[in-house]
Amino acid sequence: MRYFLRRLLTAVPTLLVIATLAFMLLHATPGGPFDSDRLLEPHIQHSIEARYHLDEPVWRQFLRYLHDLAHGNLGPSFQYRNTSVNELIAQGLPVDLTIGSAAMFIALLTGGTAGLLAATRPGSWRDRAAMSVAMLGISVPVFVIAPLLILLFAMRLHWLPAGDWVSGSWRHLLLPSLALALPYSAYIARIVRAAAIDALNQPYVRTARAKGLPTHTILWRHASRATLLPLVSFVGPALAGVLTGSIVIEQVFGLPGIGRLFVTGALNRDYTVVTGVTVLYGALIIGLNLLVDMCYAWLDPRTRIRA
Amino acid sequence: MTAPRSARAVARRWPALAAAAALALSACSGEDAGVGTHAIKVGHTLAASQELTRAVDAGGMRSLDPSISTDVPAAHVLDDLFEGLTRLDERGEPEPGMALSWQTSADGRTWTFHLREARWSNGVPVRAADFVYAWRRTVSPVTASEYAQTLAPVLNAIAISEGRLPATELGISAPDEHTVRVALNAPTPYLLSLLTKSYAYPQYEPAVRAHGEDWVRPEYIVSNGAFVLREQVMGGRVTLAKNPRYWDAAHVRLQRVVYLPLDRAVQTSRFFAGELMFTDSFSAEQTAWLRARLGAQVVSAPYLGNFVLGLNAQRPPFANNRNLRMALTLGVDRETLVRYVRQGLYQPAWTPTPPLPGYHAPLPDWTQLSVPARHALAQRYYAAAGYTRQHPLRIELHYPTDSDNRRTYEAVAAMWRANLGAQVETYNEEFRVQLNERHLKKLALFHYAWIGDYPDPYTFLQLFQTGFGYNDGGYSNPRYDTLLNAAGNEADAARRLQLLAQAESILNDDVACIPLYYYATRHLIKSYVRGWASNIQDRNLSQYMYVLEHQGQ
Repeated sequence: MRYFLRRLLTAVPTLLVIATLAFMLLHATPGGPFDSDRLLEPHIQHSIEARYHLDEPVWRQFLRYLHDLAHGNLGPSFQYRNTSVNELIAQGLPVDLTIGSAAMFIALLTGGTAGLLAATRPGSWRDRAAMSVAMLGISVPVFVIAPLLILLFAMRLHWLPAGDWVSGSWRHLLLPSLALALPYSAYIARIVRAAAIDALNQPYVRTARAKGLPTHTILWRHASRATLLPLVSFVGPALAGVLTGSIVIEQVFGLPGIGRLFVTGALNRDYTVVTGVTVLYGALIIGLNLLVDMCYAWLDPRTRIRA
Repeated sequence: MTAPRSARAVARRWPALAAAAALALSACSGEDAGVGTHAIKVGHTLAASQELTRAVDAGGMRSLDPSISTDVPAAHVLDDLFEGLTRLDERGEPEPGMALSWQTSADGRTWTFHLREARWSNGVPVRAADFVYAWRRTVSPVTASEYAQTLAPVLNAIAISEGRLPATELGISAPDEHTVRVALNAPTPYLLSLLTKSYAYPQYEPAVRAHGEDWVRPEYIVSNGAFVLREQVMGGRVTLAKNPRYWDAAHVRLQRVVYLPLDRAVQTSRFFAGELMFTDSFSAEQTAWLRARLGAQVVSAPYLGNFVLGLNAQRPPFANNRNLRMALTLGVDRETLVRYVRQGLYQPAWTPTPPLPGYHAPLPDWTQLSVPARHALAQRYYAAAGYTRQHPLRIELHYPTDSDNRRTYEAVAAMWRANLGAQVETYNEEFRVQLNERHLKKLALFHYAWIGDYPDPYTFLQLFQTGFGYNDGGYSNPRYDTLLNAAGNEADAARRLQLLAQAESILNDDVACIPLYYYATRHLIKSYVRGWASNIQDRNLSQYMYVLEHQGQ
């Protein structure tokens, strides 16, 4: 318990470093949030910048930002007038969370099944087929898969919408989460297969077999924990990636998630949005890594003793 | 040998997948993939569902506050939500809007507008004071509007935005509830067009007072246009519904309009999927491919913008070197560029101002020459400037990163290499980085495209005025400035355009920039969507549009 408290405390300086780096890098890039190719009289530029405290020295802006951050306030967005970064994230995050969890569910279900099917008969046609599909899933990038899914299911067959976000509609959820899930599903299939084969060759499994237990009982009762270990260490960070939204998926399907917010924010020099989303990503990754370690401790008593 | 056979087998068993893959590939290469055209049967009666889905460029919609909004996507939405003293008709020309009629004083500096009976979306009558309030709010320094200076033609607007005068001194007044009087600094022939823009809309003061800048959120907004705001997702969809209280509601057929901010490529795929009826843009590279598939649903027309290379008049090699500037402008084959690099979508440009009704832009004399004669002349100027094949011009051409820009500028650099032997290196930077360097006048040869604010040559010509904030080439010619000022004070519209044309011919003589081509609008519009017309400002108000009964997507 004390270990996890310590881990939580070290997360604070880590986040501070992330916020500082993001803030400094953004302010160092040429071009400001209110530069445009349109005429802007100097005094107007000044009154806009004063509104967002951009006329102050950078160190003071930074202190102001840290002060707000400590109070959970990520500041006002520069690109969306009169909208706070908190509001933007509150609006975008549910989209990513829904698609991300759907994608992770699909990936675990399909990847796990394929991996186990392959592991029970290594070298069979089943194994080869599953692993070839997995190889394809890993090597074909999302920006190819996603448009192909759209071409097939939306443009040719007209079965599913080509994008857009309608909260609560499974039809709008299916294609983006499928596209997002495929590469993860492929990784999971390979990890599960390797771990399961390894576990099935352990002496205790041989003993179980010798006792005459059926294969599914062996898989479920004896090999599953050992199989889960490498899977958990993959799924933890992967979950952070999936939940914070794939920028490509959001772009291709035109979804109002935070990944897109992040990209347009960077292009528009929306300092607060970019630092805010970066800090959020950082916090998610730290949090999920912690969760992974906790799962480890639960799954494998040996790590508990060491900790 | 097995690969082709298995590919055929896949094509036989999964024709849709094979076609989809081919479509994806051809989208990259621009080749025909053999997918049938999207046949739609369109009837002549109105469809039961009068709902329009339109795309706007992604990454805009920063604000829907008429005093503050500056981006094009928001301007489209605001065109539907609000109405100024004038409104655009179906062809994009100003016509009476909130004002039923108007008079101009003899010197063209005072305009009196008479309002019609109209109501806000909450039922309260629209009054002259609503215009006075809105305009004062736009120029007030407290509002921090990026568009304060677009009201510059109105008396005292600049002084107020600088905080030197109170907002009450603005040249707009309401002698009575139905009369708006506008006082101008100078005759402004394009005023009726300016009045259709967001910064000239009326605003409902109680809503702004109660909610501050939040007054444009769906739950608080009070508007006076053909539609009302129902839903707005930041970076996502904006939904409008018909405003039954709009004065011309009887002629508005659409019940719902959905705006979706999307990237160009996504817009095209959504159009094919039947989820979008009116796109904002498509990639120029796909023009031929799209035309083969969609026929007349691909719509392109001249747009109020120029694609120009800027030259820095204050630093070498272009300062005091007209010979070199002439050599470069003569050394570009604009027809080739337009036809082969830009797919014939755009018009070649010889002068900064795009074609405008009533204005005859002066063309340089050398446009009469044949292409080989131009090249020969270019080589003579190049030699006169002191360059040879052994000692060529070496220069960097800076442009903002974009695939269309890259193709254009690489072609231009290749033309200069072939025609003159000049060594031009193209150099791309992110938009804001390039903008910053341009404003600091660090660049010698740079991308300098401009979209006009109103259909008048002045919006393009002011870029070359001495001291103008965005004169990034630092061009300065006292004769030019004098002509431009004279045009600004000229009450006679025809005489004013003549003065502007004289000024423009000075730009051409001096080779103040290298015009390449004029922009064009690029839309995909379903054949069952009617009630729109291409116009130079590319503003199509949803209030005129309607959906015909149709079968298929």
